[in-house]
Amino acid sequence: MSVKALEMRRSASPLHDRPHARRLDQVDPYLLIATLLLIGYGLVMTYAVTVESRTLTGDPMQFVIRGAIWALIGVAVMAIVAMFDYAWLGTFAPLVYLFMLGLLAIVLVIGTSSLGAQRSVNFGGLSFQFSEVAKVLMIVVLAKFFADRTDKMGSPLTILGGLVFLGPAVYLVYRQPDLGTSLVFVAIFFGMAFMAGARLWQLVGLVAMVGAALPVIWNVLKPYQQARLTAFIDPYADPQGAGWNIIQSLIAVGSGGPTGKGLTAGTQSPLGYLPIAESDFVFAGLAEDLGFMGAVILFALYILLLMAALRVAFRARDPFGMLLGGGIAAMLVFQILVNVGMAISLMPVTGIPLPFISHGGSSLVSICFALGVLQSVAIRRPGPQIG
Amino acid sequence: MRSASRDFVRPNRFIAMAIAIVLVFTGLTVRLWDLQVVSGGHYRDLAEQNRVLRLPVEAERGTIVDRNGKVLARNLPGFAVTVIPFDVPRAEQADLAERLAPLVARDPKDVASAIDVQRARNPYEPVKVSLRPVARDIALLLSERAELFPGVRVEAESIRSYSDAVLYSPLLGYVGPVTEDEYAALRDQGYLQTDLTGRTGLEYQYEQYLRGQYGWREIERDAAQREIKQLAYSPPSTGNSVVLTIDDRLQKLIESELKKGVDQDLFTQAVGIAMNPQNGEILAMYSNPGYDNNWFINGITPQQMAQLNGDDRHPLVNKAIGDIYPPGSTFKLVTGLSALSEGIANRNTIVNVTSNVLTVDGYKFYDWRAHGTLDFVNGFAHSSDIYFYTLGGGNPNTGRAGVGPDAIFKYGSDLGFGSKTGIDLPGEASGIMPSPAWKLNTFDEPWTIGNTYHESIGQGFVAVTPLQLLNAYSIVANGGTFYQPHLLKQVVGPQGNVVFTQQPTVVRKVGITQENLTLLREAARRVVTIGHAYMPNAKLPIAGKTGTAEFGSSAGKDSAGRNKLGFHNWFVSFLPKADNTDPTADIAMVIFTFDSSRSLCENCFNPAVGMTQRILEAYKLGTP
Repeated sequence: MSVKALEMRRSASPLHDRPHARRLDQVDPYLLIATLLLIGYGLVMTYAVTVESRTLTGDPMQFVIRGAIWALIGVAVMAIVAMFDYAWLGTFAPLVYLFMLGLLAIVLVIGTSSLGAQRSVNFGGLSFQFSEVAKVLMIVVLAKFFADRTDKMGSPLTILGGLVFLGPAVYLVYRQPDLGTSLVFVAIFFGMAFMAGARLWQLVGLVAMVGAALPVIWNVLKPYQQARLTAFIDPYADPQGAGWNIIQSLIAVGSGGPTGKGLTAGTQSPLGYLPIAESDFVFAGLAEDLGFMGAVILFALYILLLMAALRVAFRARDPFGMLLGGGIAAMLVFQILVNVGMAISLMPVTGIPLPFISHGGSSLVSICFALGVLQSVAIRRPGPQIG
Repeated sequence: MRSASRDFVRPNRFIAMAIAIVLVFTGLTVRLWDLQVVSGGHYRDLAEQNRVLRLPVEAERGTIVDRNGKVLARNLPGFAVTVIPFDVPRAEQADLAERLAPLVARDPKDVASAIDVQRARNPYEPVKVSLRPVARDIALLLSERAELFPGVRVEAESIRSYSDAVLYSPLLGYVGPVTEDEYAALRDQGYLQTDLTGRTGLEYQYEQYLRGQYGWREIERDAAQREIKQLAYSPPSTGNSVVLTIDDRLQKLIESELKKGVDQDLFTQAVGIAMNPQNGEILAMYSNPGYDNNWFINGITPQQMAQLNGDDRHPLVNKAIGDIYPPGSTFKLVTGLSALSEGIANRNTIVNVTSNVLTVDGYKFYDWRAHGTLDFVNGFAHSSDIYFYTLGGGNPNTGRAGVGPDAIFKYGSDLGFGSKTGIDLPGEASGIMPSPAWKLNTFDEPWTIGNTYHESIGQGFVAVTPLQLLNAYSIVANGGTFYQPHLLKQVVGPQGNVVFTQQPTVVRKVGITQENLTLLREAARRVVTIGHAYMPNAKLPIAGKTGTAEFGSSAGKDSAGRNKLGFHNWFVSFLPKADNTDPTADIAMVIFTFDSSRSLCENCFNPAVGMTQRILEAYKLGTP
């Protein structure tokens, strides 16, 4: 049996695929190394942040252990997902989509409020942020949708069709309300449409339409969201109010200097100047403790991860795999840009977690799931003899 | 097939994506470089400012005590109300100001603007919104109902407290908040925006000694301004105590006599000053009406302020130094001294006062009786107006020459009239020592002989402060030395160490011969023994001179409901150690009663004489 035939058979019928141990050498090492190092970095920051935090009380090591358990779960999920052929996801894409909408609807119905937003669901003493999982599921759905239409990417109908799938999810997340995460959905959409080969003028046109609709969007925004945006433009207009977080975050980052104050030696978080220092503003704490060096090391790991993801996507056996990679890369880079940008006043304040670094099992496991899918794509890429 | 199957990969889009990723991280890195490497120091300072707060630690103001250590001004524990603007949500600020204002006796607008100003300056640092210390019950209310008063803190603060407030207010004055303008000049001296400073009186005069130096403590604080721990502490240093030359016992003896007179409507206002002629120490200084200076400490109410401002006796003015009056016959000292010194008169100079009226150029100048033949001592003792008209202006009817207004001006000025004595109190008046040149300057009119006559008996243009008059008699009593009157005796540090001792300050030696000074002292003694100020059962060899000035309205009532009379009585005296003419007096005193009852004056009974006798006898010999 020729390799070509094998491949055609597989793509035609994923149900016949079997994970084989011999394929483990196809695991993308860069992606894996970057993932594990970032998980480790995250655990270190979990320790530092809980030592410094005023809001998280208790033994910091307990938080680290909890983080480590989540990391183990994440790695396990990643490994298991990588074993399966990602084509299964495509097969069940309609169910995945309904499942995703169901998750987001549940949050709205029985979610617990925190800081004025219903974002998490408590289950068995654990709190889950379903929107974190939903982001990854949205990537799957859009990847399947665009992959099935690689020959029709030039059609505006394809883009509109994607938007039809995207719309309900964005709306449900926005209703939580979680403007930041709904923007991640939008970013995922644009990134994937771009990678899928959508016409640039269509994408630009969409952006222009969004731009034209800005006044309307502005009016739809809640006052606190408007305040965050104006504070982003000029934090010193209301230094005790909306600008407070931004200014204090800048102080934390800047005071870290080239090499930082030392792990757990930051002052902004322990004294309560950095709000939500374990999640939204985790980067400010990191930059204060570890300085420019620590941030650059983190960036290097991210770049390694993202480039590896792109390479996996580039070498994927089919459009679905490629788009999964492109979507995951788009999601991660957007989250990093917004979270870090927020800490250094390049972006408005939104509650988007920093991948691997922010506290939260949901975020970590969701990302691990996504990276597991990506490894599955890597494992099942055509061998070098094909390329 | 193989190539077709890879069509879905668009390398350009991958390159674009990769470039976008690199650009994102480049942008973030550049921004971080700017924040952390370029501006790291700046942000480190800001983080330190966040973390570390330097709080002033209040220093006690020094006490003010009399010469024997009796405390006149002290500090009592009280409370200050402060607000941390950061902890006041903007939406609630107006409500908070509304609730807080009555408790700190201020206008809600002022409270709100104080918070706003501090919010702009440094919202994490507390701003004091109470101008005056608040009472314990208000402090308790604020602490117990903290939910109604977000961001409000209560801190210990001492309150200035004056014992015998009304008695000593003309001397001590009071402390009050620095004004915005003053603060600009005072901030470099360590004053705070909400600081108190001496506003008038000795509190103002000796601010530099009384004021303590703030200490400070550095605390680490969190974003909610809670103190985490104290990092450093520098203790405050208490201000120095000021020891006055005042003798509280004498002050109270004067008060008991003068206040009784005002209370009984014998007169509406009164001044009493006692001084040691040998060194210028002021032993007592009393001005009635006074005011309660504790009102100003506790935050004077509009009613209280209206009461003080509405009293046309001007309770806020220390009349001992701050207002001027005609000296009346007490000024015959100057006329006599001028005539003696210029050779116009000596102890044997005779004037025949055969009539109680001297007519010159058709103008009549009256004496209070036809005295008959008078020499200098008798003329002074019986306070003959015609005798001193003659010494001062001569008698054109007989061709007799007087000493003239220029000489009176010269000797009057030498004795300190017409200029400030330089006492260590704010608000001293200069008085008027007239001369022909002065009149020409002021009124553009030539001097007349009538002016000389009036001046010779202390009427007309001449106007003096009670202290100037006392000072002039003290110069005579001590043998010719003008000592600067002063209230400061010593400055004592918090540990009891003497920081400064006030030495007697000689303003000048007055050019009078000892012979003439002796004659004047003898004449003054004769005023009491045979003359105008007879003292029954006198136990002390008091010498002095009466004066009755008539000026102002003698109709209607003043704002305090007392009869206005326009008669004002002086008695200025000194007490030699023995009944002789030696310059040994260690106490001189002036008593001045304003708007004296007509019944007292119709018999020419001068109430100041009897009061002087009672005060000095009680002071020197003990209260019977």
